[in-house]
Amino acid sequence: MFCYNCGCHLSEHDFCTACGADVSLYKRIMYVSNMYYNEGLEKASVRDLTGAVTSLRQSLKFNKNNIEARNLLGLVYFEIGEVVAALSEWVISKNLRPEKNVADDYISMLQSNSSRLDSINQTIKKYNQALVYCMQDSKDLAVIQLKKVLSLNPRFIRAHQLLALLYMDSEEWERAERELHKCMDIDRNNTQTLRYLKEVELMLVPDENVRQPGKRKKDEVVRYQSDNEIIIQPFNVKEPKRGGASTLLNIGLGLVIGLAVTYFLLVPAAETNAKNEAQIKNTEISNELNTKTVRIQELETEIEHLEQKIDGLNTELEGIVGADGTLQTIDGLLAAAAAYLETQDFEATAASLESIVQSVDLEQTSEGFQSLYRMLLASIGPELSKTYYDQGYDAYRNGDYPMAISILSKAVRYDETNMDALLQLGQAYDKNNNVTEAIETYDKVIELFPNTSNSRRAQSLKNALSNE
Amino acid sequence: MINFEEELKKFHPSLEVEDAEDAIYNQDLTDMADLLVKMIKESEEKSNEVS
Repeated sequence: MFCYNCGCHLSEHDFCTACGADVSLYKRIMYVSNMYYNEGLEKASVRDLTGAVTSLRQSLKFNKNNIEARNLLGLVYFEIGEVVAALSEWVISKNLRPEKNVADDYISMLQSNSSRLDSINQTIKKYNQALVYCMQDSKDLAVIQLKKVLSLNPRFIRAHQLLALLYMDSEEWERAERELHKCMDIDRNNTQTLRYLKEVELMLVPDENVRQPGKRKKDEVVRYQSDNEIIIQPFNVKEPKRGGASTLLNIGLGLVIGLAVTYFLLVPAAETNAKNEAQIKNTEISNELNTKTVRIQELETEIEHLEQKIDGLNTELEGIVGADGTLQTIDGLLAAAAAYLETQDFEATAASLESIVQSVDLEQTSEGFQSLYRMLLASIGPELSKTYYDQGYDAYRNGDYPMAISILSKAVRYDETNMDALLQLGQAYDKNNNVTEAIETYDKVIELFPNTSNSRRAQSLKNALSNE
Repeated sequence: MINFEEELKKFHPSLEVEDAEDAIYNQDLTDMADLLVKMIKESEEKSNEVS
């Protein structure tokens, strides 16, 4: 403690030992200030923050230089969400004692985190906006805004109190109570909080003597919370009793209305459904019928084709099979063989074989048939070929080249080794101006019968033909 | 019964950070010690004038 007059350190005496000034009153004032500081400290330690603020402000009224009291006041302000007030106290404290002051740490803590400072400022602005909404009677907006404020700064006592007041105004007593209990957790002896809480508890606690408007409303409903919503359910609401006749009348009316609804609404709907289903079924059957009709037509067409084919095959079979069921070709071959053995008539046998070849495909006949045919052909072939060669040569000499070609072709077919017939056939082609066939025939002669006079003759004729 | 309108009047806008400077400058820091010193000095001046 220093002298107010000369600034010297004061002793236990009531005067300044340096300047002699009377400091008894001054010392008492300092003691009172310290007493209030101690009181404020005690209250703050038991979370009576309102009481602490009052005591600390008293302490500072006696001694503005009580740095501990000012710093603690700033700390209490900060705890109840009054950040700007706290900051003000700490700044003043730092100005009064620039060195060795804990306020310096507090200020640095706030200033070092700019985002936190911004968040605090936003909180204050939102609170002020909520207050404006309240003034404008936009209470719903105010509630929303205050909820945002409290999400950012849950220790803002005034925001809690304002929100509780809004809940109280809308008779949401449980919510108001919840907010006020949050206030109590931060500051246990706030007069405003206690007053609101008393009012809320009065509304919530049943009181038979006092019928409050809010109480009445509470009795008539059951309230419970589901997540963030409060469900309000009517309770003890009973329908007024009515007479038996009116009940019967009502039941009768209900039945009549029910029957009317059934007749006018349900029956037509059911009929329509049934008709629709029948229509769908008819369509399905019709489609199926059309499909089957088309299939029948296809099958009939196929039957017609098959019948035509059967007729053709029957005709073909009749041509092959005789009246007694024996194959005509086999019969003819056997007859030709018998005739040859009996008469040795080459020409008749050849004629029979010709007719057999024309009527049947040799490759499709049985092995025995082919064997017999080839044996007969081998027996009569050379002689027959020689005969045809003579006839063909005569036709060639007579200048009838087409006839010569026809006959000589037979001579070559019946005996492929008849090289004279083959050479003569080439010449017949040559004379008949069938150049390509003539050269092919000459080539065959050269190929099949090399080093013969016929091959040399064929070569010279071919050369002559090629030179032309 | 609490009157909402009356209660609402008790709530005042909170100081924003930008307003902190003005609030600090405008704060009356006069304490009892200042008053006492002033009173003593005034009384001393009066006694000097009388003598």
